[in-house]
Amino acid sequence: MAPFVWGGAEELAVHFVRNLRIMGHEAELLRLPFQWDPFDNIPAEIARFKTMRLPNVDRVISMKFPAYLLPIENQTTWLIHQYRQAYDLWSSPYSNLPHDWRGELVRDVIRSHDDHYFVNQRKLFTISSEVSRRLKEFNGVDAPALRAPINDPHLFIGGDSYDYIIAPGRINASKRQYLLVEAMQYLPSTARLIVAGPPETEADAMRLRNSVAEFNLEDRVILDMRFLDREELAEYVNHAVAVAYLPYHEDSYGYVTMEAFQASKPVITTCDAGELLELVTDEHTGLVAEPDPQSLAACIAQLFYDRKQAAEMGAAGHALWRSKNITWEANISTLLGLD
Amino acid sequence: MKIGVISSMVPHIDGGYRMFVNQLVPELERAGHVVEVVWLPFSSDPKTMLSEMLGFRMMNLDDIFDLVICCRPPAHVVKHRRKVVWFIHHERVFYDLWDSEHNTIPKSAYWKGFRAQLMRADTKCLREAHAVFSNSQVVADRLMAFNAIAAEVLYPPLAGDVQFDSNAHGAELAFVCRIEEHKRQHLAVKAMSFTKSPVRLRIAGRSQNPNYLESLQSFVELNRLRDRITLDHRWISEGEKRHLLANALGVVYIPVDDDSYGYPTLEGACAERPIVTVSDAGGVGEFVEDGISGLITAPTPEALGEAFDRLWDDRMLAAKLGEGALRRINELSIRWDHVVARLTA
Repeated sequence: MAPFVWGGAEELAVHFVRNLRIMGHEAELLRLPFQWDPFDNIPAEIARFKTMRLPNVDRVISMKFPAYLLPIENQTTWLIHQYRQAYDLWSSPYSNLPHDWRGELVRDVIRSHDDHYFVNQRKLFTISSEVSRRLKEFNGVDAPALRAPINDPHLFIGGDSYDYIIAPGRINASKRQYLLVEAMQYLPSTARLIVAGPPETEADAMRLRNSVAEFNLEDRVILDMRFLDREELAEYVNHAVAVAYLPYHEDSYGYVTMEAFQASKPVITTCDAGELLELVTDEHTGLVAEPDPQSLAACIAQLFYDRKQAAEMGAAGHALWRSKNITWEANISTLLGLD
Repeated sequence: MKIGVISSMVPHIDGGYRMFVNQLVPELERAGHVVEVVWLPFSSDPKTMLSEMLGFRMMNLDDIFDLVICCRPPAHVVKHRRKVVWFIHHERVFYDLWDSEHNTIPKSAYWKGFRAQLMRADTKCLREAHAVFSNSQVVADRLMAFNAIAAEVLYPPLAGDVQFDSNAHGAELAFVCRIEEHKRQHLAVKAMSFTKSPVRLRIAGRSQNPNYLESLQSFVELNRLRDRITLDHRWISEGEKRHLLANALGVVYIPVDDDSYGYPTLEGACAERPIVTVSDAGGVGEFVEDGISGLITAPTPEALGEAFDRLWDDRMLAAKLGEGALRRINELSIRWDHVVARLTA
């Protein structure tokens, strides 16, 4: 971890520990700081992790580089990600490792430690098929993906559909809520869209507000742009006709998709959304549009004006999602080797 | 200020230091600071201790925090330009317990050398600190004796609301803490067989040591004390504890040479109960003054039993000592605002 940084990985770890306790285990979260800046100190950081001892535990589950390098017996790794700058991000602009002999040396040190650990680690899982794929490509190891489950399935119980489509979640350019707002101009005035979630930047919020004004959609598009608590969010989803979620090339199903199906709502997405297309199949569990406003408008209209079909797709989505058995109970059994 | 609170820890084991850290964080935040806790596992195993400490020292905290507050050792070995240490104990087998029966480390040349090295490391790292505090006078004295470091005593306050209920002083003494040999519940139980008044004793707390618990139970049975002693071996909730204290005759806390006055003492004082302790209880004596905020007796069942009787016979005295105990909290500045002010000064 890095002090003062809190994100998806931290949330996942907290929920993981909470669910371990629910299942009757004594569990504690340990967040060990790792500093990757300056880059040439990374080998010393690896050495530092190797000096650590972890007393009084029966089992350790490590989730990130370099936590799994602690010298511990009886360790299971549930990998969120490796040090990506040494792998798939090496040649991207996001790498902090310079492309000279020093950067290459640090990269190779990281890779050799990983290779050594992974090749001897039988209890190795990842959080997505993309992470598994990278592990195979770069380190030559096979590791099954155990996807992160939803954390409060009891809230997403479904319910009567009121007259709106919901687009929940963080608002930013790569989630493309703006395409949905633009699509609304092509729909009859009875159709309604609610965008609910915290905007990442003021520019993201502005873009949606401007679109609404430009196409005179004030009475048809509700922009509820703030951090909603879980109950509020579930209430929106439970009473929607359908859920719209348009991430760009995402490496996971996304909580939005999983929660929609938990609540038996069909999902409208685009053909470039990434891994969630494994769950959202066109005309079966939802509708897959081209990433443009007209194509999306057609999908929204189809579900909005045929509630019976929307309900059937929602039910199919629910059945498909449940058949995957992505739950904390199942994951924890696998991680602890109890199944 | 961006503050890092650094502490070592042992997974799944609670201790006073965790309570201190977990309460310190919101108190620092209330004072306007941004705080992150860094918990570092530490084995206390002499075989790996020094390399673990080296690992602590390798962290580069300068870029992240404006100030680091180091709590449970060896957190004090971390490097930072502005490091404040709240020191709670040495690795005692290498310090004051080296020549005691508690030390199982052989006094070979290797371990003597190791001990010297550990002391040097501690001293060097403590000298780097911007300020060193200790949680008790006992620990401050040891810092002076072994490391030549002058530490200011900064007593740990209670977590949570310190406004305790306080009712009339009843007929039962409360002895609430873990039931372990070194807490000496056996001494209190034996003292009960010397009492002349109908004073009652309630022992409450969890025990990790079934043999010890059993020995207490059988003593109670054999001496027919069952109607005057309640042995409640479970963890009691905060609310239950406060109710118990609010109506107790007094609080008994008699550990063997404890480093600090202990939370039971402080809780008793918050509820205006007199604290009954013994002369070799260590840090408890820093808090309790005999005849002012409680009673200090010789560590014998007879003397302790006499003190129990005194409180039962004289409720006015119990009330007076209870008031004294509450006053003592203020006298020693056992308050979070004081702790925060000193640590961030």
